[in-house]
Amino acid sequence: MASRPLRKTLGGVVTYLVWIFMSVFTLLPIYWMFVVSARSRVELFGGPNLIQTTFFAENYLKPLSNPAYRGYLVNSLIIATSNAVLVMILAIMATYALSRYRLKGDANIFFWTITNRMAPPAVFLLPLFLLYTRVIKIGEWSLFDTHIGIILIYCVFNLPFAIWLLKGTIDGIPAELDEAALVDGANTLTVIVRIIVPLAAPTIAISGILSWIFAWNEYLFAATLTSVNARTITTGLAEFVTVTGTNWGEMAAMAVVAILPGLLFLSLVQRYIVTGLTFGAVKE
Amino acid sequence: MRATRVGWGLLAPTLIILGFVGVVPFLYVVYVGFFDWDIFAAKVGMVFAGVNNYRRLVFDSEYLAALGRTLQFMIWVVASELLLGFGLAQLLAKNFWGRSVFRTIHALPLVVAPIAVGATWRLFTIPGFGPLPYYLDKWFGIEYSISRYASHAFTTIVLMDIWHWTPFVTLTLVAGLTALPREPFEQALVDGANRWQVFRYLTLPLLTPVLVTTTFIRIMDALRVVDEVWMLTGGGPGTSTRFVGLHIWLVVFPKTAYGYGAAMSLLTLYFTIVLSWLLFIAITQSGKQTAS
Amino acid sequence: MAEEPQKPSKTNNTTPVAAPVRHVGRKGFLPITTNLWDRFFIGGVLLVAIHLLWLRFIEFYLPLPIATVISLILMYVIMRWG
Repeated sequence: MASRPLRKTLGGVVTYLVWIFMSVFTLLPIYWMFVVSARSRVELFGGPNLIQTTFFAENYLKPLSNPAYRGYLVNSLIIATSNAVLVMILAIMATYALSRYRLKGDANIFFWTITNRMAPPAVFLLPLFLLYTRVIKIGEWSLFDTHIGIILIYCVFNLPFAIWLLKGTIDGIPAELDEAALVDGANTLTVIVRIIVPLAAPTIAISGILSWIFAWNEYLFAATLTSVNARTITTGLAEFVTVTGTNWGEMAAMAVVAILPGLLFLSLVQRYIVTGLTFGAVKE
Repeated sequence: MRATRVGWGLLAPTLIILGFVGVVPFLYVVYVGFFDWDIFAAKVGMVFAGVNNYRRLVFDSEYLAALGRTLQFMIWVVASELLLGFGLAQLLAKNFWGRSVFRTIHALPLVVAPIAVGATWRLFTIPGFGPLPYYLDKWFGIEYSISRYASHAFTTIVLMDIWHWTPFVTLTLVAGLTALPREPFEQALVDGANRWQVFRYLTLPLLTPVLVTTTFIRIMDALRVVDEVWMLTGGGPGTSTRFVGLHIWLVVFPKTAYGYGAAMSLLTLYFTIVLSWLLFIAITQSGKQTAS
Repeated sequence: MAEEPQKPSKTNNTTPVAAPVRHVGRKGFLPITTNLWDRFFIGGVLLVAIHLLWLRFIEFYLPLPIATVISLILMYVIMRWG
C-alpha cells in the first residue's frame, strides 16, 4: 500500500485531471459556437480550425439590424422581466401566507404547487393552445400571441420554484418580529414590505433572476402560443434552422446573444445561482 | 390568532393563476380527449367519440415507439448522470485550490437555454464543418454522422443531455454531502471502518433523501425533453430520435387532430405519473428496508 | 442563501431537498403501507391501465363495460382491504 502523502498527492492529481477534463468537455461546444459566430461562410467550410483570430461582425449585425429579430429580443426582455416581477410579488405573498397562517390544507397546497412544475410541457401545449385560441375569446381578442398569455404560462413553472426557494428563508425569519409590528398597529402589507422583503431580499432576488432566466430560455410554449407579436428570441433562434435553412454563422451569433444573459447572471451571482438551481440545496 | 381570511387573500392570486394555467388545461384536455375534433375534417365541430381516440392510440405504433424510445433515453441519461454526478460530487465536496472556478464552469450549461444547447451541439457535431465528426474521422477513422445514422444521433443526444444536466446532479449531491452530520463519520474512523464500509453504511444511507429527489427531478426532466432534440436532430434521421414530447408536438399541430392529440397528451401524462410514482415507491420503500 | 438573522437554536439551516414523505398509513394486502388517498390513487391508476389493456387486447372478444365493472370492483377491494 502506498504511503499516506503519496496517496494524497495522487488523489490531488486525479481530482485536477478529472476537473480539467470536465471543464474542457463543458467549454468546448460553447467555445466552438463563439468561433462559428465569428466566421464567414468561406472560413467556416475551410475545416474545423479551433483557433480564431478574425471576427466576422456581419453575423451579429445582420440579424440584429433586422426589425423582426430586434422585436424578438424586445419581446423576450418584456416577457422575462414582467414574469420575474410578477413571480416575485406573488411568491412573497403566497409564501408568507403558507409560512405564517394556519390555513386548512396548506401542506397539500405547497405540495400541489410543486407538482405543477414537474408536469411535462408537451402535455399542456394542446389544451393551452385551444384555450388561448378558441375558448377564451372576447370578440377578436384572445390570449393567443399576447405577452400576458405567455407571462401567465411561465408563472406555472416559476411560481412553484420561487415558493419552494422562499419557504425556507421566510420560515427562518422569527415570527416574533412581525408579531411585534402587528401589535404596534402595522397591517399585513406593511409587515411584508418592511420586515419580510428586506430580510429575505437575497432569496427574493435569486428567485427573480432564475425566473427571468427560465422565461428567457423557454421555447416550446413560446413557439406554440405566439405567432408574430409576442415571439421570443428562442423561437427566432429555432427559425434560423427551420426557415432560412443553413445560415450557421448568424445562427451561432443569435445563440450567443440568447445565452449571454444567463452567463452574465452566472458570473455575477454565481453562488446564489447555484443555490437556486439546486432547489435551495447548496449553501456556503 | 391571525385572520385566516388575510392568509387566503395573500394566497389567492397564486392559486388563481396556477388553477387557470395548470388545472383548467388539465380538465380541458380530459374533456377534449373524448371527442372527435379535427378542424380540417368534414365535420368541423366537436363530435363525441367515447373512447375512440384511446382505441386508436393503443394501436398507434408510432406513438408507442416514441414512448419506448423516451424510456430508453431516460434510463441512459439518468443512469449515466447519476453515476458521473456522484463521482464528481465526491471530488467537489473536498476543498482544493480552484474549486469554485471549476464549479462555475461546471454549472455553466444549466443557465444555457435548451434551444441554444441544441444549437451548440448541432454546430459541434454537424457533418461538414463540425469539429467532432472531423476529428473522429481524422484521428480514429470513424465515420460519424448524426444525420445519417440513427444510433449516432441517439448517442449524441444522450451525450448532450449528460453535458447539460450532469451539473445539476453534481451540485445537488455536493450540497447533500456537505450537509451531512460529522459525528457518525468521526465515530466510524475511531471504530476503524474502511472507506468502503463508510461509503456503504454511512454516506449512501444518509444521502438517500437527496439522491431520491435528484433522481426524481432528473427523470421528470428526461421524460419531457423536447427543445434540445428538436434543434439537434429534429427527431431524425427518420423517426429515430422522436421522443414522446416531440412526437406530440410534431403530430398534433400540423395535423390539427385536436381530439386525438388531447388523448395522446393525457396518456403521456398518465404514463409519466405512473412511472414516477412507481419509482418513488420503489426507492423510498427499499430505503426504508435497508435502514430498519 | 440569505444571511437572515436566525435564532441560534436552528443549528443547521442547510436544508437539503428531501422527498416529502409523510406516510401515515396502514398495511393491507398491498406490499406497502398506504392511506386511503394512496389506495384511491392506486385504484385509479389500475382502472386506466385495465381499460387501456382491454382496448388493446380483449375488446375484440368482450365489450369494454366489462372492464369498467371489473376495475370498479378492484378499486373497491383495494380501498377497503388494500
